Amino acid sequence: MSMTRLPDYVVRRPSGFYRSTNPGTKLVVAALEVLAAFLLPGWIGPAVVLAAVLATAAVARRLRGLATFGLAASPIVGSILLVNLFLLPGASDPIARLGPLAPTWSGLWFGLQTVARLLAFSSAIALVYLTTTVDDLLADLSRRGLGRRAIFVVGAAVQMVPLTIERAGEILDAQRARGMDTEGRIWRRARGVLPLAGPVVFGALTEVEERTMALEARAFSAPGRKTLLRVPRNGRIDRFLLWAALLALVALVGIRVAGRLG
Amino acid sequence: MTSPGSNPRVPPAPGSNVPGSIPRVLPHVPSIEVEAVSFAYPEGTRALTDVSLRIEPGETLAIVGQNGSGKSTLVRHLNGLLRPTGGRVLLDGADVRPVHVAHLAARVGLAFQNPDRQLFAGHVSAEIEFGPRNLGIRGAELAERVALALAAVGLESVATANPYDLGYSRRKLLALASVLAMRTPVLILDEPTTGQDARGVARVQDVVARAAAEGRTVIAISHDMRFVAECFRRVVVMRAGRVALDGPPSAVFAEAAWPELRASYLEPPLPAVAGARLGLGATPTGGAVVAALAAGPRNR
Repeated sequence: MSMTRLPDYVVRRPSGFYRSTNPGTKLVVAALEVLAAFLLPGWIGPAVVLAAVLATAAVARRLRGLATFGLAASPIVGSILLVNLFLLPGASDPIARLGPLAPTWSGLWFGLQTVARLLAFSSAIALVYLTTTVDDLLADLSRRGLGRRAIFVVGAAVQMVPLTIERAGEILDAQRARGMDTEGRIWRRARGVLPLAGPVVFGALTEVEERTMALEARAFSAPGRKTLLRVPRNGRIDRFLLWAALLALVALVGIRVAGRLG
Repeated sequence: MTSPGSNPRVPPAPGSNVPGSIPRVLPHVPSIEVEAVSFAYPEGTRALTDVSLRIEPGETLAIVGQNGSGKSTLVRHLNGLLRPTGGRVLLDGADVRPVHVAHLAARVGLAFQNPDRQLFAGHVSAEIEFGPRNLGIRGAELAERVALALAAVGLESVATANPYDLGYSRRKLLALASVLAMRTPVLILDEPTTGQDARGVARVQDVVARAAAEGRTVIAISHDMRFVAECFRRVVVMRAGRVALDGPPSAVFAEAAWPELRASYLEPPLPAVAGARLGLGATPTGGAVVAALAAGPRNR
């Protein structure tokens, strides 16, 4: 009897530095980095986390993707800086006087630090997204015993992002094909965004609903243990990283409680 | 072999007056030239390789091919939604590359394959108004265009309904109407008969026939070989991003071309197969088979 070749979906393995790391391990590392960005005081936390994330992204060849995430965060970054620069409560060291407004040094300092923390923790999470396929993440969560319904919710939420982007792009193309000028000035581009909201949101919800029904029709809720089609790698390096992350977490909390760097 | 005129669905000569047709005054119909166009998507997928076509004003052209053969990618170059990575697309001899899509939209109308990714207005009339409004049409002319477009696809009774309350086939017809109302001299339809019942297919066929009779260029992507054979004077078969066959239905669906069609995962329409088996020659449509049989053995 000849063996049927397994489909690519089952046998495909991620390759490359960090990309081949177990998704669960990457989630734990990212969680540790998020905690470190907030628990370590002053500039140390964000600086250490940003350095670690950037170095990993560089070796994993995901720097460009990370830069896109940074660009997407720029409106929040800008607003945090502005609010703190001008409105930090109790700040009394003005940089200059601009009529009724007085930007302060302490406001600028605090704003920059807040932005650094924000970028550190968001880039740690973004790196997981950039180096992990949804299939692998869900398969690993399933292997670790997370409930099927929870996995479906996670999967639907994560998959909704690219689907929504794709749908929005197509609707925008349809608008352009029907004469809406979205090229050139920014207000022209903005005009096309409002009509997108309805079909994009309702379409995404409808798709999730349809997928739920399709899964139910294929015995999604049936009792019993399911066989995993693919099992993500969980090798020695993954276990080492996991333990190292847990030890680092204990050390982090210890340092924070002892207040040596506080 | 049959002539296009022997088939009632094949559009009459360009410029003839058809009652109930949408445009009163047809704008200048441009010629379209696709010159050695290649295109690769940003992630690296090569969708078109060195595609060259010349489409004369008023021509009816069907593009067929298996999924992923580059059909939709090709037509998105004709209205500027995609810009070639190699080669160029010319409208009346002018390169479309520097022209905004919004400006090209006045000349090349494109109805997308999936209606759910192009409908966004709160009700059917507003959806149809969207395109003409962007072209600066207002008042009585706008109302007339909406009414005629609704009539062309048989949606007059649902003018105030929400598009998403309509069934799939009617949403598809609405997407077609929303492009018809723009009265573009070039009309491109991506899979217009998919999801349509026999009545819906007949409506689409009428729309194509009327547009062609008005002298407009009609280009359609389709997997429906019967629709293609009956409504279009020219068929382009695409395979792996290249043009594999290009000619009238009688040539593209002739027995000699079947190996090429099958290599593109296409089946010739049933009348073509029946005609070949009966020794009637190239008979891409049912009408052509009947005509060949009626002509008797001496004409075979």
